[in-house]
Amino acid sequence: MLVQDIMTSPVVAISPDVSLQDAYQTMQEKGIRHLPVLVLDKLVGVITDRDLRLATSALAPKPFPSGARVSAVMRTFPFTADPADPVEDAARLMREKKIGCLPVTNDDRLVGIITGLDLLDALIRMTGADKPSGRLEVRLADRPGELAQLASFMSRRELNIHSILTYPEGAEKIRAVLRVGSIEMRMLAQDLRRDGFDVLWPPAKPCLP
Amino acid sequence: MLDLLRAIGQTVSPLEPEPATRADILSVHDERLVTRVEALSAGLDVPDCEAYGLGTPDNPVFPGMDEAARWHVGGTLKAARLICEQGAKRVLQLGGGLHHARREFASGFCIYNDLAIAIKYLTRQGLWVAYLDIDVHHCDGVQQILYEDMRVMTVSLHESGRYLFPGTGEIHELGSGPGRGLKLNIPLEPFTEGDSYLEAFETVLKAALGQFNPGVFVVQAGADAHYDDPLADLMLTTHDYEKIFRRILEFADTFADGKVLFTLGGGYSLRAAPRIWAMLYLMIHNLPLVEALPPAWLDKWNHVIGNKLSTFHDLNPSYPPIPNREEIAHRNRQVTQRLLDLTSQYWL
Repeated sequence: MLVQDIMTSPVVAISPDVSLQDAYQTMQEKGIRHLPVLVLDKLVGVITDRDLRLATSALAPKPFPSGARVSAVMRTFPFTADPADPVEDAARLMREKKIGCLPVTNDDRLVGIITGLDLLDALIRMTGADKPSGRLEVRLADRPGELAQLASFMSRRELNIHSILTYPEGAEKIRAVLRVGSIEMRMLAQDLRRDGFDVLWPPAKPCLP
Repeated sequence: MLDLLRAIGQTVSPLEPEPATRADILSVHDERLVTRVEALSAGLDVPDCEAYGLGTPDNPVFPGMDEAARWHVGGTLKAARLICEQGAKRVLQLGGGLHHARREFASGFCIYNDLAIAIKYLTRQGLWVAYLDIDVHHCDGVQQILYEDMRVMTVSLHESGRYLFPGTGEIHELGSGPGRGLKLNIPLEPFTEGDSYLEAFETVLKAALGQFNPGVFVVQAGADAHYDDPLADLMLTTHDYEKIFRRILEFADTFADGKVLFTLGGGYSLRAAPRIWAMLYLMIHNLPLVEALPPAWLDKWNHVIGNKLSTFHDLNPSYPPIPNREEIAHRNRQVTQRLLDLTSQYWL
């Protein structure tokens, strides 16, 4: 999944000469919290609703008046992303720098913006939580070919794997959590166990044969 | 099930419905789904059918599938018409309950959503509908179709989508637009037993019916929350089902002048589902339950039931004790409380 797949476009942006009051107004009207700042078409900064509130707060040592210019408060040289970057790279950058948005630029032009909420959307899509599915969890040896065997099993049953997440367990095992597009997970689990797979979910019910 | 009822001396003479019309189906479903079902039904090739949930292991293609699906809808619609046009009170549809079918997507063995179609009919007759779904799976199709409808309150008790198909049915799915606060979901922990289930059932329904005054109840009475069901992980016994059905009938009598439409639904244990639904049939008629299962019936169905059963009700106890029973009950209580906290912002 690339940045261009989750970014919002076109982007609402403002000029650096706009007043803080007007910038706040724009955010309220559009229901957004991040505003890229452009001179002609070039990105010169980003201002967020947090910046606005901190700058004008009575708690600030020298609060800005509401008529002050955005240029006085905005962050200059903002971090940006390329549309072809993988989303996980954007996520890592936003996490490291603790920022809530990344303007997306191409050839110096602003082409989109991604925010923390867009990353959550990506996570939801990647974990397959938006298609009807049942959960399957299998413990595998951390060796080449293990996951392929599991996937082949599904393929032979013509079952659609909507998502697969793996995480390590100790040094030699991994746990694979799959969302599979089928209602019949318990029968599937039984058959997998018969084939030698270590199925953790669904567990065998104590009272069933 | 019918065999069992006859074996204990009941004369069961069900009414025959007509299959639903194309217009009935289109009252709820997207035409793109319907045309594809019709084409597949006639043996034609539909290359993008999987995008509509068709041609999968759960929803395979078979000749006549459109007509078959319309029979289910016809049954539930007839049940609704009996209530509205013939003054019937308690009606049992010996089929239907296809609650996974979405507006534009077939899923979980369901092609057309008989429940949503019948409920839409009932609301058009001016009735406010309380829909109760006790199938162990979340009623994602019914909820999707009726999500913005303020004339229908949906309440679903199901095993949490964290573990079980279809993966939805979280407490924060509360409805939208005019329907906000009228879609209730109680996702239960795997291995939830009867006591915890009934506690959640009672707590939520009491609160919900204090808020919404139904003219009729529609109940999807899937029997797959039984401990013997091979598809899911809840641990209800037939004793628990008896209590649930009794409460539903009491709610219907108290709130909806006795009007309640039951459909069947999921129920994949041949040892459990027939007994549960036979019990529903007897309770609807205010008939007593029997103690023992007729030996002739047991003999006849031995090849699927084995010789594990002799009494109508489950034995007590029926299964080994569940180790973290207290934790499960505690979590369910938390979930129920959080649900009611969420709804309080939309309720009076």
